[in-house]
Amino acid sequence: MEQAITLARGPLFALAFGIMVLGLARLVLLQVYELAVGKGRRLQNAPWRKIMGETITWALPFKHFIKGTLLFSSASFAMHIGLILVPLFLADHVAMWERQFGVNLPSMGRGMADVLTLLTLFCLLVLLGFRFLSWRHRAVSTPTDYWLLVALIVPFASGFLATHPGLNPFRWEVVMLVHLLSANLLLVLVPFTKLAHVVLFAFDRISEIHWQLRPGAGDRVANALFGSEAKV
Amino acid sequence: MSAEPVPAAAADATTAPARRYSFHVEEPCEGDRVAKFLEAFAAVLEYTDYKALLDSYCTTSAKCNRCAVTCPVFQVTNDPRDIPCYRTNILLEVYKRYFTIGGWVSSRFKSHFELTDEVIDEFAEVLYRCTACRRCTQECPMGVDHGLMTRLGRYVLSLIGVVPKALQVSVREQLEGETHNTSKVPQKAMLHTLDFLSEEMEDILGVKMDFPVDEPDRDFAFFCAVSDYLMEPDTLMGNAAVLYAAGDWDRWTIGTDNFDGINYGLFYSDWHLENIIKRLLGEVDRLNAGKILIGECGHASRSAHQFVPVFGDRERYPVLNFMEYTYDCLLKGKIELDPSIITERVTYHDPCNIARSGWIVEQPREILRAFVPNFVDMSHAGRRNYCCGGGGGLVSVDEIHDFRMEIGGRVKAEQMRETGAEIVVAPCANCKKQLKELVEHYKLPCKVMGLHDLILKAIVIPGGKSPAERKQEAELYA
Repeated sequence: MEQAITLARGPLFALAFGIMVLGLARLVLLQVYELAVGKGRRLQNAPWRKIMGETITWALPFKHFIKGTLLFSSASFAMHIGLILVPLFLADHVAMWERQFGVNLPSMGRGMADVLTLLTLFCLLVLLGFRFLSWRHRAVSTPTDYWLLVALIVPFASGFLATHPGLNPFRWEVVMLVHLLSANLLLVLVPFTKLAHVVLFAFDRISEIHWQLRPGAGDRVANALFGSEAKV
Repeated sequence: MSAEPVPAAAADATTAPARRYSFHVEEPCEGDRVAKFLEAFAAVLEYTDYKALLDSYCTTSAKCNRCAVTCPVFQVTNDPRDIPCYRTNILLEVYKRYFTIGGWVSSRFKSHFELTDEVIDEFAEVLYRCTACRRCTQECPMGVDHGLMTRLGRYVLSLIGVVPKALQVSVREQLEGETHNTSKVPQKAMLHTLDFLSEEMEDILGVKMDFPVDEPDRDFAFFCAVSDYLMEPDTLMGNAAVLYAAGDWDRWTIGTDNFDGINYGLFYSDWHLENIIKRLLGEVDRLNAGKILIGECGHASRSAHQFVPVFGDRERYPVLNFMEYTYDCLLKGKIELDPSIITERVTYHDPCNIARSGWIVEQPREILRAFVPNFVDMSHAGRRNYCCGGGGGLVSVDEIHDFRMEIGGRVKAEQMRETGAEIVVAPCANCKKQLKELVEHYKLPCKVMGLHDLILKAIVIPGGKSPAERKQEAELYA
């Protein structure tokens, strides 16, 4: 068990982290390539100030809490706080970052980490509840929308249990292994699921750029399908 | 109230062949529609830039349902098909399954999405239940532009012949017909209308104004929705009155080769959108005009403002909406509006195509506040406005009239009623048509008019009759 834990927090973590970084880098590069090369000169028509403004306001989306989505939106927003801060700044994680990559991050107190973890878990359960209980959410949900929430819950729940022996009914080694493996799996999932918005968020508000259609494309499509004498 | 679009052909179902869609199509797509759809989609992906966007949306779409609560159609129907994410997801599923490696792999291992005739039918139906107002886009935390996805879906469908006949026939006349406009108005009829309007304006305003036609080297080439020549002449006369009062009568012209600002390509086809813009630019070049001045029409303004820089040259062809011009005249003191003429309670409807982006929100309000003492805004005004219910070309599709009234426009009708306004100003030809029908349908105690219809009543015309005198005459005449 000890060896498995060592493997999971060492080489497996490094592998998962590497896949995540490379996967996200690929997504960013594709977006940048598409914008720089695909859109080219048309980029000058884009409303850059508006795009930047909206990207910032969506990072702290207080003005986007609208009637009818208050609970879901609040849970979504609050969930992100722990989701971002705990993996980075929990003291045990800070030690891990330093051990693996030599990066020295400030650490948060255990009490704060517990509060954020519980908040995140509560919010994730609320979101899962919406998926199961709200017909509107069920109507648009795919299997990924369900299991991804579970994939987020497991590392947080197991991490909380591992750091609170009094509340943990399982063997510590088992819980820690589950925590490490599920966290590694989550890292791998990031670039292949909607978790990729951790970086694609920066490109979320650029649909106005995508409205800058490619000149001549319409004629070329018509030509390919109907020949050069294509009629309306 | 029915959640389903009412099939207009229900009455003669015994004699007419069954229709697949709630709108008429010219020639039903026959044969292997799935193969044709995929072939069309493949061609679109090959020659356009949509692939990166689809890849991005496939990855990040959160399916959080915020779009549902913002959609005026879903608010009425509560039908899952009307959730913007549901609609977009059909397109994304097709893309993932048939155009990505992941989709191909997963199709080998598990139960998976398959494009069928039924999916195409549902897709066509839901795409034309959307008014393309893009209200949902504003509230999508992932920035999924459901308006753009609806448009892309419609584009692919149009390539297999699934497009409302009303839109297709209009575009054909504009691009390939003799009149070059969507309402098939011959040049001669347009010139007669202008002569008639000149006489009418002389009667109303007390000054003679001959509309400038095909005048070269003017500052402004003017394009309004062709319906302004036919059904909304007060808007056109209001535009003319502002130009005259501002001393800019010699700075504008109407072209006879292309006088229609409408661009239905915006609603369903990149192909037509670009070619209509090119026709418009051709006319500007023929006239050697400096700027493109678009009349009161939301989608005509947006299509020119957004796509002239894409398909033309931003520096060569600046685009101006007429309300921007009027606002500028007001700021510079070039026109005067009498604040004692309009005593009714007035509200303003924001056309989605000019307000959603924040382009034209305050200008018309500032103009109205300058001469309408009893101006009141609707709830959800400005960028967060509700669509009239006829957006995205739906207003031109007569056979879905019941859908537009009972579903698409219900929220807007309620908004209008809440304001208690006697006049609803809607500076868009499509919105005006839809709102007038809503007023009739819901028996609302108000009338709908363009901004310049109202300005026509209150503008001070140098050397002409005063607004008060004109009002007195109008009341006598009435």
